[in-house]
Amino acid sequence: MTTAQDRSDLVSSLGLDAQNKATIGAVLNTGSIGTATERADGTMEATITIREDTIAWDPAILVMPHGGDLELTVVNDDTNTHSALFPSNGDKKFLWLLNHSKGRARLNLDGPGYYWYSSPHGNDEGRGLTAAIVVQGEVPPEARLDRPDQPRP
Amino acid sequence: MTAVDYADAGEAIDFTSLTAMANRAPDVTSSVNYERILNARSESHNWLTYYGAYDGQRYSLLDQINSDNVGKMGPVWMFQAGAHGLIAGAGTYAFEATPIVVDGMMYVTGWDGQLWALDAKNGNLLWRYKHAVPFDVSLCCGNVNRGCAVANGKVYMVTPNAHLLALDATDGKTVWSKTSGDVRAGESATMAPLVVKDTLITGSSGGEFGSRGHLDCWDLETGEHRWRSYTVPKPGEPGSETWPADGEAWARGGANPWITGTYDPETNLYYAGTGNPAPDFDGEVREGDNLFTDSVVAVDVDSGEIRWHYQFTPHDLWDYDSVMENILFERDGKKLLGHFDKNGYFFVLDRINGELQHVTPFVDRIDWGTITRDGKVTPRRYPDKEGEPVHFFPGPAGAKEWTHAAYNQQTEMFYVPVADLGATATRRRREFKEGQPYWGAAVAVDLDDMAGSISAFDTHGEEKWRWRNDYPMASSVCTTAGNLVFAGAPTGEFLGLDARTGEELFRFQCGSGHHGSPMTYSVDGKQYVAVPVGWGGWLEGIIPGLLSAGHGDALIAFALPD
Repeated sequence: MTTAQDRSDLVSSLGLDAQNKATIGAVLNTGSIGTATERADGTMEATITIREDTIAWDPAILVMPHGGDLELTVVNDDTNTHSALFPSNGDKKFLWLLNHSKGRARLNLDGPGYYWYSSPHGNDEGRGLTAAIVVQGEVPPEARLDRPDQPRP
Repeated sequence: MTAVDYADAGEAIDFTSLTAMANRAPDVTSSVNYERILNARSESHNWLTYYGAYDGQRYSLLDQINSDNVGKMGPVWMFQAGAHGLIAGAGTYAFEATPIVVDGMMYVTGWDGQLWALDAKNGNLLWRYKHAVPFDVSLCCGNVNRGCAVANGKVYMVTPNAHLLALDATDGKTVWSKTSGDVRAGESATMAPLVVKDTLITGSSGGEFGSRGHLDCWDLETGEHRWRSYTVPKPGEPGSETWPADGEAWARGGANPWITGTYDPETNLYYAGTGNPAPDFDGEVREGDNLFTDSVVAVDVDSGEIRWHYQFTPHDLWDYDSVMENILFERDGKKLLGHFDKNGYFFVLDRINGELQHVTPFVDRIDWGTITRDGKVTPRRYPDKEGEPVHFFPGPAGAKEWTHAAYNQQTEMFYVPVADLGATATRRRREFKEGQPYWGAAVAVDLDDMAGSISAFDTHGEEKWRWRNDYPMASSVCTTAGNLVFAGAPTGEFLGLDARTGEELFRFQCGSGHHGSPMTYSVDGKQYVAVPVGWGGWLEGIIPGLLSAGHGDALIAFALPD
């Protein structure tokens, strides 16, 4: 069994989390994990970044404490053009990300689970620019089944 | 570099702004109300509600396209959705919807929380809605949606992560959104909501995850929750005596009503089919008949109270959901209900009180058990002993899956998509854990030795004709006053049959298998037949031999030449 640090070291030493090492691109979600912060009005916010020559989102997994509105600052620190296509209720949100640019996205995600977003550009998605937004929490009490609490895995 | 050196990328824009869409549609649904839906068949140029009318007959009075000229029919437009990014259950998505048409506008739902508003005359996309669906949502058995409802200027749909949405019918913007189920309990939603009076009725999906099925009623305008009716009773409630007295089998009992029901305004009853019990194949942990699984429940639309029920497969051990339609019809002045069940039998009931009229088989091979004409059930082959394989007909997808039969008022015949293949189930007990599949068996559906048909029956269950196919049929049927029956084959052919004889009059290869519901409408006096085409769903259960066939995602409209 490996510890979390062992896993991180192993991923790196095997060349799974970078461009053109073991793999051609970076294996999805082998990067960092970040959490969104929550403002007093319940809106959550976070920054995601494409660092130079990584062709990957940092963090690779962004965690929201619950469903709702998320305001993202999106930074492209790379010397190539990318883009972002985010999930949001109603319509996906699209952002062009020219070399060394910064923009914003307002998303609404209404329930538990995880959602992919990516850069739909060439094969950015396969090279590593596909990342996850995780929504924690439960559904509203009125939507839960009328039964005793059940065991979970 | 410093932050000020960044180029301003601005704010992310709606993805639809990068299309040719107008993002605006004519307001044709503001005048759609309960009265119009009650009389939907009288405006057969439209398809106002899921089955075309509350009675579930999927029968249209249109006859411009008829048995004399259908051979000249051809495709006139096609809509293709395509895909962006990763979606839940990518290997399972299918185009299973019934389009709704109102005065030249078409509203059709797709997989992964999508709804499209199209010009019904030419297929042009006017607006679209996309719900954000978690990649990890529990789906049994595919990323699918079966349709929407329209009324009072709004379009209503459910999403795979169990939300009920009201959208503005002119631009697709969300008016309200309600959570209708618990994704952490394995619940999802796939059915078309039904407008009844000033409410919407929905049902839950998730029976393969040991949820507790329920119907819900919502205010049409505000989304306020009116009532919830569970299809498995709690201890002490009527029907609870059919579950083990100790333990919590009832709490995981399934019975999800995951297909739209039919409705009779005179009885004030909504006729919902309910799903299999959970675990599907391990009956020892849920001794008893397990009401109201595998039943039709007649629900008072005002209170949500179950007035009567009839159980088609007591103590199911074969995954024989009874969610498929209960078609309302009259015979000799009697108000009846016809139901073709997964278990291979056709049931006719008095729809006022649920009294059985007669039962007849509608598929060649049935060996799981027998049901006599007066309804006596005798199980014969079922997974009983741990680790011992048992083969039975029909398999767990049934002699007819959820896809719908039709009833033609002219011919007084039912037209049924029939599947004839078996399966082997080996009981494998497992502990219940919330959100985990809860089948209680290893299941393998036959890869060969299969057949299918569109079969025609009179109201007494006597077979009148059969159009034979090498594969089980897995699409809904639509019938018209033009003496036609339309259906799609799993291998892609869209078919027009003579409703009186079954003679094949029309065939068009659509490029992907059919697992949805064709319908018909007219605009400016021209009749169209529309069919969603996109193979997928629970293929390992329906026809595993076609598991690798191309998925497709097209909606095709046919018409006669001008």
